Amino acid sequence: MAAETGIIAIGAGIAIGSAALATAWAQKTIGAAAVGAAAENEKMFGKGLIYMVLPETIVLFGLVIAFLLWTKM
Amino acid sequence: MFRPREMKRTLIIGAKQDVEKTIELLHSLEIVHIIDYQPSDAEEPLHLGTPTEKASGVSQNLLKLRSSAQLLTLEREPPSVSEKISEKQIQRDIYLKTQDLELSVLSLTETKTRIEEHYRKIDERIRQLQPFAAMNIPLENYQGYDHVAVFTGYLRDLKKINERLPKITGEYELFISDEKDQMIALFIAKSYADDAGKLLSDCGFTEVKLPEGEGLPKQFIEKWTTQQKELSEKLVQTTKDILEFRKRYAEFILASEEYLAIEVQKAEAPVLFGMTDYSFLIDCWIPTDDLPRVKEVLEKEMEGSLYLEEIEVKHEDEPPTLLKNPRPVRRFEYLLELYSLPNYRDIDPSFILSLIFPLFFGLMIGDIGYGILLILFGILFMKMFKKSEGFSNIGWYIIIAGVFASLFGLFLFGDMFGLPFLPPAGETGVVAYSWSSLLGFHIPIPSVIHKMESLGMTQLLVISIIAGFLHLGLGLLIGVIVEKHNRKHAITKIGLLFVLTALALLIFVMADWTIGQWLKPLKNSVVAPLLWNFFIPLVKAGFSFGGLLVPYISVVFGALGIVMIIIVTGGFGLVEVLEVTSHLISYTRLAAICVAKAAMAFAFNMIGLGLILSGNIAIGILGVILLIFMQLMVFSLGALSSGIQAVRLHYVEFFMKFYKGEGIQFNPFRYVRKYTTTE
Repeated sequence: MAAETGIIAIGAGIAIGSAALATAWAQKTIGAAAVGAAAENEKMFGKGLIYMVLPETIVLFGLVIAFLLWTKM
Repeated sequence: MFRPREMKRTLIIGAKQDVEKTIELLHSLEIVHIIDYQPSDAEEPLHLGTPTEKASGVSQNLLKLRSSAQLLTLEREPPSVSEKISEKQIQRDIYLKTQDLELSVLSLTETKTRIEEHYRKIDERIRQLQPFAAMNIPLENYQGYDHVAVFTGYLRDLKKINERLPKITGEYELFISDEKDQMIALFIAKSYADDAGKLLSDCGFTEVKLPEGEGLPKQFIEKWTTQQKELSEKLVQTTKDILEFRKRYAEFILASEEYLAIEVQKAEAPVLFGMTDYSFLIDCWIPTDDLPRVKEVLEKEMEGSLYLEEIEVKHEDEPPTLLKNPRPVRRFEYLLELYSLPNYRDIDPSFILSLIFPLFFGLMIGDIGYGILLILFGILFMKMFKKSEGFSNIGWYIIIAGVFASLFGLFLFGDMFGLPFLPPAGETGVVAYSWSSLLGFHIPIPSVIHKMESLGMTQLLVISIIAGFLHLGLGLLIGVIVEKHNRKHAITKIGLLFVLTALALLIFVMADWTIGQWLKPLKNSVVAPLLWNFFIPLVKAGFSFGGLLVPYISVVFGALGIVMIIIVTGGFGLVEVLEVTSHLISYTRLAAICVAKAAMAFAFNMIGLGLILSGNIAIGILGVILLIFMQLMVFSLGALSSGIQAVRLHYVEFFMKFYKGEGIQFNPFRYVRKYTTTE
C-alpha cells in the first residue's frame, strides 16, 4: 500500500512539474517578445499580457490531473 | 451603462464667412467629434480647408510665450494656480504684456547666465594660478629672460633631481613650494635647458603652464576670490528676482499660453473641414442625447444660416466610443482600455468588470489579514500616485479587492495571515496552530472551507468551476446579444452555451458530495420539492463510463450543442468546443492560487512560530523578524499573482466570448482648460 501511494505521489509530482516546465518554456519566449512589442508601442501591452498568460492553462491541466491522483492516495 | 453612448452622424454646412463663428460655437459646445475630411477624388468640388488668417500670428505669439515659460521652467514645475483668469482679461492684456514679458524674461535669464559664466571663468583662472601661489614669486619674474630657461610644474621625484642636477651645471636655481604636491620652478642657464628637460622628465615632471599677468599670485587670488563673492551675491539676487518674476507672472503666462493654444486650435480647425470657394462642410459625430441642444444653439446663434443634416449610420461607419458609467465604475474603464477601447457596437463590460474582477482577486487572496494589508496598500498607492490616473485607478482596484479578500477571509475561510482562527478539527501539534490557541482565548470565527484540507480543496475547485461556468455563460450570452444580426455566430455561441452547461453538469455530478452538502440548507425551503423531486434526479440519472457517472442530461446538452455548431459552421466550429473546455478548466486557477498562497503561508508560519515558541529569546527574536519578512513575501507574491490572474480571466476567457474592442476614442472639439475661463 505504501509503495503504491508513493508511486501515485510521484505521478502527481511529474504531472504538475512537467506541465509547469512546459508553461515556463512557452512563457519565456512569448514574454520576451511581448515586452519587446510593448516597448515599441504601449498599446500592445494589453495584447502582450494576454499572449503572455495564455500558456498558464497548461500548468492548470497538470494541476487538475495531480489533484485527481492525489485524491486516490 | 452597458452600451457606449449612441452617436448621430451629422453634416453641418454653411457659408464661408460664417466659418469662424461656427467654430467658436462648436468649440464652446465641447461635444462635437469632428471627422477629418478626406477628399475622395479630384472631381469633387470640395477640397481640404486651410487655417484661418490669424493662425500664423497666433502661433508666433504662442511660441514666444512658450519660450518664456520654458526659461522660467513653468512647464517642468508648474506652480499651483489660485484662480482661473477670464478670457476677456487675457485678450485685453496679452498683446501689450507678451512683448514686455519676453524682453524681461530674456534679460533676467541672460543676466543670470552672464554672471554664472563670469564666475566660472574666474574659477578657472584661480585654479590655474593656485600652484604658483605658494612659490611667492611675482609672475613677471618667470619670463622675459635671454639666457635663462624656466620650467614650472609638478615633480614626483625630488630627491633624484637634487642629486643629479648639480652634475649638469651649477648655474641654476630651484624653487620648491612647501606644499605636499611638490610644485617646482627651475631657473637654469639656457644652454643646459635640453639636458635639464630630459632629467626632469626622468623624474616624473608634469608641466604647468604659466598664467598671464604681473604681480604676486597670492594677491591675484585674493582679489579674485573677493570678486567671486560679489558675483555669487549678485547671482543670489538675480535668482531671487527671477523667482519673484516667475511668481508674479506665472499665472498670466500659463493662462495666456492656454488661451493662445485654444486660439490656434480654433484657427487650425478648418483643416478638418471640407471647403468650396463659398461654403464649408463639417462632418461630425454628436451623441444622440446632445444633438437637440447642439441644433438649438447653432440655430439660435447663427440665425438659421447653417444647414444641418443627420446621415443614417451605415454598417461600415465607425462611430467613436464615449463610455457612460456611474462614477465608481468609471475607474474600471481604465482596466478595460488597457486591453482595448470598446468598439461602438460592443457591449461595455466595465460594470461587470468592476464587480467580478475584485471578487476573483479577493477570492484568491481570501484572508482577512492580507485583505486589510491590501486595503492599506491600495490607499497608500492612491496617495503616492495622485497625479497619475492609471496608477491611482490601480490603487482603487487593490482597495476593493482588499475588501472582498477580507470578507472571504472572515466568512468563508476564517483565517488571518494564513493561520485559521480555530484549529482544524482532529489535528494536534504544530499543524494545529491557530489564533485561538496562540492567543489563549476562543475566537468564534469558523473556517467554512479549510484551504489546507483535501475536502476544502475539492470544494474550492468546485467553486472555481461554478464561477467559471457563470462567468463564461454570461460572456456567451452577451456574445449572442452582440451577434444577434449574424445568425451563424449567434447559433455557434448558443451551441457553446449548451456544451458549457453539459461540461459543468458533468463536473458537478462528479463532485456530488460537495454540492449535496451545500444544498442542505435549502432542504426546508420552498424550492426543496422541485429540487429533490425533479432537478437532482434528472441530473443524477446517467450511465457509468470508466468508473465515472455520466449524466444523460450532459450527453443530451453536449450532443445538441455540438450538432448546432456543426450545422452552422461545418466541422470547423468544433475547435471552439475544445476552447470552451479548456477555458472552463482555466478557472481552476482561482482554487490553485488560493491554495498555493495558503500553503506557502502555512509553511512559513510553521517555521516562524516554531522558532518563536522555542523558548530561547534570541531565537525567538530571529523568528519574529523571519516571520514578518516571510509574511510580506507571501503577501506581495499573492497580491501580484492574484491580480494578474484575475485580469487574465477577464481578458482571455471572458472577453474572447463577445468583446471586439479597437474602438475610436470620442474626441470632442474642445480644450480642457486649466488656467482660463470664458466667464
